[in-house]
Amino acid sequence: MPRVDVELPSVLTGLLGVPRVVPVEASCLADALRELSELHPTIDVHLFDETGGFREHVLCFHNETNTRWLDGTDVALADGDRITIMQAVSGG
Amino acid sequence: MGTTAVIGTAKGGFILRSDDRRTWSVEGPLFKGWKLTTTSRTPAGTYLAATASDVYGTAVHRSRDLAEWEQVETGPAWPAAAEGGGNGEARKLKQIWTFGHGGNRTYAGVDDAGLFASDDDGVSWTPVDGLNEHSTRSGWFPGAGGLCAHAVLVDPADPKRLWCGISAVGVFRSDDGGASWTPKNEGIPIVIEDKSCKDIGRCVHGMVADPKDANTIYRREHVGVFRTRDGGEHWERIEHGLPSWFGFPIVMDVPTNTLFLAPLESDEYRMPVDGRLSVYRSRDGGDSWEDASAGLPAEHAYVGVLRGAMAADQDGGVYLGTTGGQVYVSSDGADSWQTLPVTLPRVLSVEVYPS
Repeated sequence: MPRVDVELPSVLTGLLGVPRVVPVEASCLADALRELSELHPTIDVHLFDETGGFREHVLCFHNETNTRWLDGTDVALADGDRITIMQAVSGG
Repeated sequence: MGTTAVIGTAKGGFILRSDDRRTWSVEGPLFKGWKLTTTSRTPAGTYLAATASDVYGTAVHRSRDLAEWEQVETGPAWPAAAEGGGNGEARKLKQIWTFGHGGNRTYAGVDDAGLFASDDDGVSWTPVDGLNEHSTRSGWFPGAGGLCAHAVLVDPADPKRLWCGISAVGVFRSDDGGASWTPKNEGIPIVIEDKSCKDIGRCVHGMVADPKDANTIYRREHVGVFRTRDGGEHWERIEHGLPSWFGFPIVMDVPTNTLFLAPLESDEYRMPVDGRLSVYRSRDGGDSWEDASAGLPAEHAYVGVLRGAMAADQDGGVYLGTTGGQVYVSSDGADSWQTLPVTLPRVLSVEVYPS
């Protein structure tokens, strides 16, 4: 099973008292997010909205790829991959 | 008497502590970077805090000491694709506006409008369907602050009697513990007229009840200040002496039967009248109001006072936060005001916890 890191924004980790980087073992992106939720259940409400998808202004990157442009979260992971959660930023 | 005031702002919470209400210490920020939209203390002594973010949503947190907080796992939540209101959009949980307590039950009023209840001291929450799925819901429209249930009052003598204020819908009352609700807005002008239901369409801004007689409720409305003495069956204007009837919070010092509010200039402007930040008080149940602003900025003040940004500590202390981040305290029933040495983010909520 690939070991990957999920990197979280400080505004979330500070609120919830979870580490900035959460190592998980998962074969695909969906499983990694599921594992993150099982390890830290209170994070779900902050990442996902009522539809079950990512909140409008939450971004999730698989390495350098914005997962919003993928067809889904059934994306194969490889050892050492990084999943990064961040907030969408626009304007100034 | 020791006093702790929790100031909720757009970027976190700040705790002010004092033994004499003259000299204050400041702690914070709590929940740094998050809106702290409201706090409360349950009958069991647990502190509740509601955080919100335009990016990361809203949640409830619990604490026994205001220092260590834990987010609850089963907080208020809407099911997918629930009807939001008259705009036809799906319901979303955007913010928790208020907590109310009655008996051993705690209520949370939220945006998109609705009510949730907790019977386990805030650990888990269930929807109050009698209100949330009310037959008038398709006629519910948001005000400038959203479609929000921001006021929950519970009759201390009979916790099955509840009032909920929703903007811009009106006040609803339940006499059966929340199972069924009836609009109670007679005497209040309509601001958003529904095609068929004329009992809603009011824009309630704030409410406070007299705990000695829960049928007496004072209500700030988009179009005035009102009072009921029969639990909401009828409302009458109580604006004599006010420079403007517009504004949001209204609070009560129960031992002295004194009401306090901060007038703002009309819905177009929403700033102190003539640049003078003022508080008005009523010692006769709202029949008349007098200026009680000594020590507040008398000129060049153009900040607002938001819905939750005023509190009374029930010992003559009155607390006021502004959209400019100033906090003002009176320890003598608004005879005089002190400016606290803080410049905070936009103040959303002020709650006071005597200790």
